[in-house]
Amino acid sequence: MPAKTIKVDMLTRVEGEGALQIKFRGERVEDVKLTIFEPPRMFEAFLRGRHAFEAPDITARICGICPIAYQMSAVHAIEKALGVKVDPAVRELRRLFYCGEWIESHALHIYMLHAPDFLGYADAIEMARDHPEKVNQALRLKKIGNHLMTVLGGREIHPISVCVGGFYKVPTRAELRELVEDLKWARETAIETVRLVSTFPFPDFEQDYEFVALSHRDEYPLNKGRLVSNKGLDIEASEYEEHFFEQHVKHSNALQSQLRKRGSYLVGPMARFNLNYDKLPESARQVAADVGLKAPVLNPFRSIIVRAVELVFACEEALRIIGEYEPPEAPRAKVRMRAGTGHAITEAPRGILYHRYQIDGEGKILAAKIVPPTSQNQKRIEDDLWQFVPQLSALPQEEITLRCEQAVRNYDPCISCATHFLRLEITRE
Amino acid sequence: MVRVLVIGCGNRDRGDDAAGILVVRRLQERGVDAREHSSDGLALIDAWSTAEYVILIDTVITGAPPGTISGAMGADAAVLRSATTSSHSFDVAAAIELARALDRMPGSLKIYGIEGCAFEPGTEPQPAVLAAAERVASLVLAEVQRLQAA
Repeated sequence: MPAKTIKVDMLTRVEGEGALQIKFRGERVEDVKLTIFEPPRMFEAFLRGRHAFEAPDITARICGICPIAYQMSAVHAIEKALGVKVDPAVRELRRLFYCGEWIESHALHIYMLHAPDFLGYADAIEMARDHPEKVNQALRLKKIGNHLMTVLGGREIHPISVCVGGFYKVPTRAELRELVEDLKWARETAIETVRLVSTFPFPDFEQDYEFVALSHRDEYPLNKGRLVSNKGLDIEASEYEEHFFEQHVKHSNALQSQLRKRGSYLVGPMARFNLNYDKLPESARQVAADVGLKAPVLNPFRSIIVRAVELVFACEEALRIIGEYEPPEAPRAKVRMRAGTGHAITEAPRGILYHRYQIDGEGKILAAKIVPPTSQNQKRIEDDLWQFVPQLSALPQEEITLRCEQAVRNYDPCISCATHFLRLEITRE
Repeated sequence: MVRVLVIGCGNRDRGDDAAGILVVRRLQERGVDAREHSSDGLALIDAWSTAEYVILIDTVITGAPPGTISGAMGADAAVLRSATTSSHSFDVAAAIELARALDRMPGSLKIYGIEGCAFEPGTEPQPAVLAAAERVASLVLAEVQRLQAA
């Protein structure tokens, strides 16, 4: 039987360098490999010997699109190790900071990276020629998210205000109030975005996923809660490594994370939505209901709608926090060094981000472990393709390639984070 | 007076990529409204929204010897090719192409490219690139003065 290989040598519209290889024998899919050849980045190794206070700034460099996620998981883990109690107002500011990152990251992915797949454009630039108003909207949304990050963090990329215990400097009420009008516009635009993307054509494809996300009694998850799944997982961050393990596979420089005895799992917007739907604000639940989006969402292509619902949430949450904001008495809690180990999980825009630090009595980092969302989703992306590709086998090569890339982009993978782009190779035998 | 904005792109800590930043710093010393740009290219579209004449300086790779200065005006910038593999940030060429699709180009855009070839983190630009940055700073200063006198 003739073999056919489909090869995407450089996956585009994903962050980092990766490739995809799919091998057909006749109609049967014989192999699927998501290859990540971006070189390993060794962050865990060069954190060793550095001071714990440096971890938020060092780990922020892992990613230009979600530096806050790295800063948040780092400070939470170190605070845990040191027994630091954080002022509730500081915790609210951290949620607000995170909202900025979700707004800019989700707006970028929905409009500039994923929408072109559904509308049949090669990229956002081509789409902009036919839909300039939508792309201008996306740029403004992204700018509002970035601006929020700048107000809280001093600058949008690799912010400089976050420290163990809180912030070096917190904003005044007046500084935050200036953001309100833009955020109200963003909220309305996000609601329009949900309505827009819900009209896209979605392939018929559903899977029995294990969704993994943080869950908190009374808030949609960002930076607090237990780690839960729809298949019985319910643990603290400190128990993470008892339930999850990372595996090196030959074809990838990023470790693949799996649940012990259960295999791949899904993190990110769909997992959060399915496990925490009732914690969304009324406006987000209403628009989800209006477009017929109900938990559980099992079709990964519909993640673009979920991401848009989360955009509504992030704007709403930012407005709530600003409306109730009282500056903390002190921008940061006093921190006393002690030896210990701390673990933390927070929700980066594309899913959970795990950090663990072991530090000595002087604050020196003895060991560090970081599991980014794309490592966690990597095996799941391959599993999706194994199931999705057979329905494509009769299509022309070019079309298969496009559909596969779209399926990868469902996860908004950040390969730079996970090694820590993608080429697609399809072989037919 | 024409509203002129000078933007230098690059990363001060990546060898020859610092060229645009060094030009800006030299011009700022001479009182020119010049801005460093190290983040996402998309932000360029906003940055130049209020300017009539934008001069942009960036390191380029064309295969010419390091320090070679190339210049392009407006539509010629279409020949620029992206060098990035990232999707989470748009580079200068992609930003220009997007701005053109959105009809958000400045009235005039002039680009100076300074040829580079060494981009190791934490390194200084090569002497030829440093010298080219000085020459471009002089050229841009003269141009800004001419435009503002007009």
